[in-house]
Amino acid sequence: MIKPLQMNEAKIGAAIAIGFLLFNAIFWLYPFVWLAIMAVSEWRFFDAPVFSGLTNLNYVLQDPEFWNSFWNVVRFMAYFIPIVLISSLAFAFGLQHLGRGKVFVALCFLLAYISSGVAYSLVFTKVFSETGPINLFLLDWLGYTIPWLSSPTMAMFSVSLVITWKFVGYFGLIFYSGLNAIPKEIYDAAKLDNCSAFTTLFKVTLPMINAQLIMVLIFAITVAFSIFTEPYMMTGGGPMESTNMPQLVMYETAFKRLQPGRAALMAIILAGVSYLVVRVVRKLFERDLEIV
Amino acid sequence: MSFLNKISIGLKKKTFGSWLITIAMYTLALTWLYPYIWMVTASLKPTSEIYNTSMFSGNFSLDNFHFLFDSAEKLDRPFFTALLNSFFVTLTVTFSVLLTSGYIAYAMTKIQFKGHKQLNNFLLFQMVLPGMLLTIPMFVLIKQLGLINSYSAMILPSLVSGWGVFMMAQAFKGTPNDYLDAAKLDRASMSQIIFKLMVPLNKSIVAIVGLFTFTGTWDNFMWPLIVISDVDKMPLSVLLATFNKQFGEYVGPVMAGSVIQTLPLIIIFVIFRKYFLQGMSLSLK
Repeated sequence: MIKPLQMNEAKIGAAIAIGFLLFNAIFWLYPFVWLAIMAVSEWRFFDAPVFSGLTNLNYVLQDPEFWNSFWNVVRFMAYFIPIVLISSLAFAFGLQHLGRGKVFVALCFLLAYISSGVAYSLVFTKVFSETGPINLFLLDWLGYTIPWLSSPTMAMFSVSLVITWKFVGYFGLIFYSGLNAIPKEIYDAAKLDNCSAFTTLFKVTLPMINAQLIMVLIFAITVAFSIFTEPYMMTGGGPMESTNMPQLVMYETAFKRLQPGRAALMAIILAGVSYLVVRVVRKLFERDLEIV
Repeated sequence: MSFLNKISIGLKKKTFGSWLITIAMYTLALTWLYPYIWMVTASLKPTSEIYNTSMFSGNFSLDNFHFLFDSAEKLDRPFFTALLNSFFVTLTVTFSVLLTSGYIAYAMTKIQFKGHKQLNNFLLFQMVLPGMLLTIPMFVLIKQLGLINSYSAMILPSLVSGWGVFMMAQAFKGTPNDYLDAAKLDRASMSQIIFKLMVPLNKSIVAIVGLFTFTGTWDNFMWPLIVISDVDKMPLSVLLATFNKQFGEYVGPVMAGSVIQTLPLIIIFVIFRKYFLQGMSLSLK
């Protein structure tokens, strides 16, 4: 009675699997084949692609804009990673010590994570503008204004502040769940050993949430390599290319300069480098945690 | 005596400290909301007043919203159509992802067939590859299919989500097979088993897949920017960006557009906050 039913089910299961694979053959595998073809071809979207070997590679490696965008990723990470790590940790500690209204506070922060990139980028562009509310406030109280988005030295810092605003709630919740998993006995032991708050933080708390720290670090690196909307909307890559991130260069190269082959190669290099950076970070900082 | 004293001081200190933390956290929470509050108040003021009145003063009216929906048509910026486009694309994608994820996840976890394991490995492999690799070649495919400037360009590539399948498969795995056997004895069809048994039993994961697909699709910017150049097909995110590029000095209407673009996300977030919090802590492991 049940056996033929199962046979029938196996057929349906296989049919679903085939459907899934068919979809992926069209919308996943086929694009990947094209990615490989484009990377080694001279092509402008219209004519037939002509094999050009390593010409694209040569071009990309000598493209100052591409290298500049890598440098911008480094600059972005130099601001973003310390700021977001410290503020997310502070948020998690604060949440831990908060008696009432934990959910309310967490939701206020998470609202930034859920919101629309285009909309908040526009809002921050206006808030940070020369005559915007923040500069008006600074002018009233301190007598000077800050060129948040219009100075090449400040623009990247401002962009990283906005991205921090977005991610603190999410990263903070990750830390919060890590902190909650630390057994209380360890803190009692640290107290008995007369550890200072500083020692407890660096020798007990942070090593105990190593897994969460690594996870957030990897997220942050991925964000650094893949942001597009915020710099596109807020600065357009400027001023003086100071916020020209790799995704913007890729977009420009493919759709404004009509060199999809070079852009495809950029994407491959970019994905490779971000993978390597993540590997190095894991190798350097990841610890196997064992509580004896 | 001194011992008791110490304890009471300790208690007092703790309460004082926790008061301080409470006040600090609430202040920060409101600071985090500041961009939203500023956006809403700016959208209600005439542009000339936005930068020179304090946040809650000025002549509040809905003029900016009227301007967007009425006169923006004359500027060739059909905001109402864009809003409908956004809803159409987002709802179609969300509905399809829920449907396909349900079937595929069920097949992958509850049906034995050949190539079962390879399918699982493929899914994991697909999920670790960064999406930025696919953007440009996906454009090539859409162009070859002749779908540039069509709704299909925004919908077709997102009909199935590897992440959605993965999440649902993780959940379905934990549902005991006894339930399924009972349902099969009652001659329930596979669709009935999936949508009357598996989905209700794993409500929160299904909700998470649906909600994050919705917010992600609604917020999608780079892809529609690439494939849509016809203003009548643009989703709100792209239309708003092009409007700002051309009429950026109309701060009031731009903020009104931002409010409309943000509002559906906020409403969904507030209604389904329980699932969002669950979803965040799910990915914590």
